[in-house]
Amino acid sequence: MIINTVILSWVTFIYFGSAVFYIFKMVTGKEFCGSLASIIAFIGLIAQTAGLILRWFESYKMGIGHAPLSNLYESLIFFSWTTVLLYLIIEWRVKTKNLGAFVVPFAFFSMAFASFSPNVNARIQPLIPALQSNWLISHVITCFFGYAALTIACGLGFMYLLKGLEKGESPRLFFRLLPDREIVDELTYHSVVIGFIFLTLGIITGSVWAYSAWGSYWSWDPKETWSLITWLIYAAMLHSRFVRGWRGKRMAIMSIIGFASVLFTYFGVNYLPGLHSYF
Amino acid sequence: MPLKMKKIFFSFFSSLKLTITLLIIIAVASILGTIIPQQYGGGESFRHLSPGLFKVFNSLQLFDMYHSVWFIILMGLLSLNLIVCSLDRFPASWKLFTAIPSPDRSKPFENLPPESVILTEKDRNEVIESVANILTKRYKKIRRKDADSATFFYGERGSYSNFGVYIIHLSSLIVISGAIIGSLLGFQAFVNIPEGESTNTVHLARQKGVKKLDFTVRCDKFSISFYDNGMPKEYRSNLSFIKDNNVILEGPLLVNHPITFNGIRFYQASYGSTPGGKAYITVIRENKEENTLKVKQRDSFYLKEKNTKVKILRIEKNLMSMGPAVLINIQSPEGNMQFWVFKHIDKIRERIPGLFKKVPKFNPGRFKPYYFKLDRIESNYYTGLQLSHDPGVVIVAIGSIFIILGLFITFFSSHKRLWVRVDEQDGKTKISVGARSNKDPVGLKREVEHLLSYFSSIG
Repeated sequence: MIINTVILSWVTFIYFGSAVFYIFKMVTGKEFCGSLASIIAFIGLIAQTAGLILRWFESYKMGIGHAPLSNLYESLIFFSWTTVLLYLIIEWRVKTKNLGAFVVPFAFFSMAFASFSPNVNARIQPLIPALQSNWLISHVITCFFGYAALTIACGLGFMYLLKGLEKGESPRLFFRLLPDREIVDELTYHSVVIGFIFLTLGIITGSVWAYSAWGSYWSWDPKETWSLITWLIYAAMLHSRFVRGWRGKRMAIMSIIGFASVLFTYFGVNYLPGLHSYF
Repeated sequence: MPLKMKKIFFSFFSSLKLTITLLIIIAVASILGTIIPQQYGGGESFRHLSPGLFKVFNSLQLFDMYHSVWFIILMGLLSLNLIVCSLDRFPASWKLFTAIPSPDRSKPFENLPPESVILTEKDRNEVIESVANILTKRYKKIRRKDADSATFFYGERGSYSNFGVYIIHLSSLIVISGAIIGSLLGFQAFVNIPEGESTNTVHLARQKGVKKLDFTVRCDKFSISFYDNGMPKEYRSNLSFIKDNNVILEGPLLVNHPITFNGIRFYQASYGSTPGGKAYITVIRENKEENTLKVKQRDSFYLKEKNTKVKILRIEKNLMSMGPAVLINIQSPEGNMQFWVFKHIDKIRERIPGLFKKVPKFNPGRFKPYYFKLDRIESNYYTGLQLSHDPGVVIVAIGSIFIILGLFITFFSSHKRLWVRVDEQDGKTKISVGARSNKDPVGLKREVEHLLSYFSSIG
C-alpha cells in the first residue's frame, strides 16, 4: 500500500473516535468530551489534508499528475474533508459542540466506505481523456462544498427533530443540552443557503465543462438531471421560507429530503446509464 | 381581458402554491426521465417487453421527455409564474428602494433594548452635530428632522438588496430564453468519418434527418494512445476543413478541446473500427523464398506460377476467439481452394492436437509448396464527431453569471435602515438607535453595535 492510503485509512479511525466523543458530549453534557472530540477532529483534518497533498505528489511521481479528485475513492475522501472543514468552521463561529454528533459520523461513513469497500479502488489512476480538463478542479470543489453544507443542514434537521421530542416541564438533561430550536433553525437556513449557492456554482461550472467536452452545456444526463432536482428541492425550501415564512419542523424535514436527493445525485445515479459513469 | 378575469389570472399565476406545485411536478417528471431510457431508440427494448405500455408511453413522448410538448408547457408555466410573481411584487420593492421614510417615526424606537440607548453629559447641540457627522460618513441616504424636543435622523444602506430576488428570477428567464433560442436556431448533429475519407453530410440529433454543410470535413487520421495500465490516454482526430477544394483549417481534435469552424463546434465524441482493415501476409515458398504483402479485403495477387491467383476474402480481427485471421482463396489450374490463415496458428495447434487433420481449412500450408503467415492486422478507424451550433450559449452564460450575482445580493446583503433620535432626559442628552432590516438580523445587530460604539465615543 502507498503511504497516502495508509494515512487516509487511519483518518477513518480518527473520525470514528471524534464522532464517538461528540456523541458522549451530547448525551452526558461533559465539556471535556466535547473539547476532546474537537481536537481529535482537527487532528484528523490535518492528517487528511496531508494525505491528500501526499497523494497529489505521488501522482506526479508516477508521471500521471493530477489533483486527487478524479475517481470515487478520491471524491469520498474529499467529501469527508469538506464536511469536517466546514463543520469545524461552524463550530468555531457558533461555539456549539452538539452538532458534531450529527455531522462527523457522515464524514466517518464516507471515509469508511472509501477505505474498506471492495468496490472502491484506492489506486491512483491516470485521467481518462474526458477528465483532462481545467474545469475538473473547480467543478468538483464547488459541488463538494455544496454537498458538505447540505450534509450539515441535514444533521441540523435531525437535531431539530430530536429536540422536538422533548416533552413536559422538566425535560431530561439530554434535551436541555441541545441548542434552542430557533438557533438550530437559523443555522439550518444558513447551511442551506451556502449549500444552495455552491450547488448552483457546481451546476454552472459543470455545464461550462460539458460545453467543452460533450458538445452541449446541458444534455439531461441523469447526474445533471438529479442535480437539477436537488436544486429545485432547495429552491422550493428557500421560497417557502422567504414567502410563506415556513420555519422549524418543515424546514428540518425539507433539509433531510433535500439531502436524500443529494445522496442520490452523488451515488444513486451510478446505477442509471449516463455520462458521469466515472464517479 | 375583463378586469375580473385579469384579477383571477394574476392571483393564480402569482401564487407560491403554483410555484411549489410546478417545481414538484417538474422534479417528479425529471426523475421519470432518468429512469425511462431517453436515447434514440431507447424505447426499443421496451417495445418487446410490453407493446401496449410502449404505445402509451410513446404517445406521451416519454422516450424523449425533456423535449416533449407537455414538458415544454410545464417550463412555460413556470416562466409565466416567475414573470407574474415578479410583476406582482416588484412595485413594493421599488417603493422600499426609493422611498425614504420620515426620520421622526416613533415605531422604530418602541421597545428598544437598554443597550440601544446612550446617555451623556455633553451638550445636546454638540452631540447632534457629532451624530450627523458619523452618519454622513457611514450612510449614503440620510434624512434629518429637527423638532423642538428632539432631533431625528434616518440613514440606510444596502437598499439594492431588495432587487437580488428579481435579478435571480430575471436571469433564470434569460437562461431559459437562451435555451429556447438555442433549440430553435441551433442544431446538434453527429457524423462518423473513416480515416482518409471526407464528408459534408451529417445526421441531426433526435432523428431529425440529415444536414448538408457548406464545407467538407476530412479525417486524415485517428489515433488512440494508452497509459501503461491500459487506460485510454488520448483520442485524437486529425481533421481538415475544406472549402472550394482548399484546406482552410487543419488541426488535431481532442476530447475537451473542440474545434470551431464556420460557427459550428466539432467535438471528439466516439470512435470505432470499420470492418476489414489491412493485413500483412508473408508468403513462403519451399521454406526459403519469402515475400511480405500488405493487403486489403478483396485484394488479389498472383503467385510465382502466373496461373495461380490468391484472393483475400475476409479479414477478421478475432475469429472464433482465436485471434486475427484472414480467409484466402487460391485459384489454380487444379481448382479452387479456401483456407484460414491465423496469426497465432502455433498456439492454436498446441491447444488442439491434430488440428489440421480435423479441420484442413485451418492449415496455412494447405496449398503446397506454399506456406502463409499472418504477421498482423491493422484496423481502420473511423472517428465519431459531434457537431453543435448554438447561438443561445452566450445568452445562457450571461444569465448564469447574473444568477450568481443575484444569489450573492439576495443572501449576503440586506437593506439596513436606522433611525437615530437625540433628545433630553433628566438633564442629560439621550441618543436612541432603532433599526429595521429585510433580512439578516445578526448583521443588523452588528451594525447597531458598531454605530453605538461610535456614539458612545462622543460622550
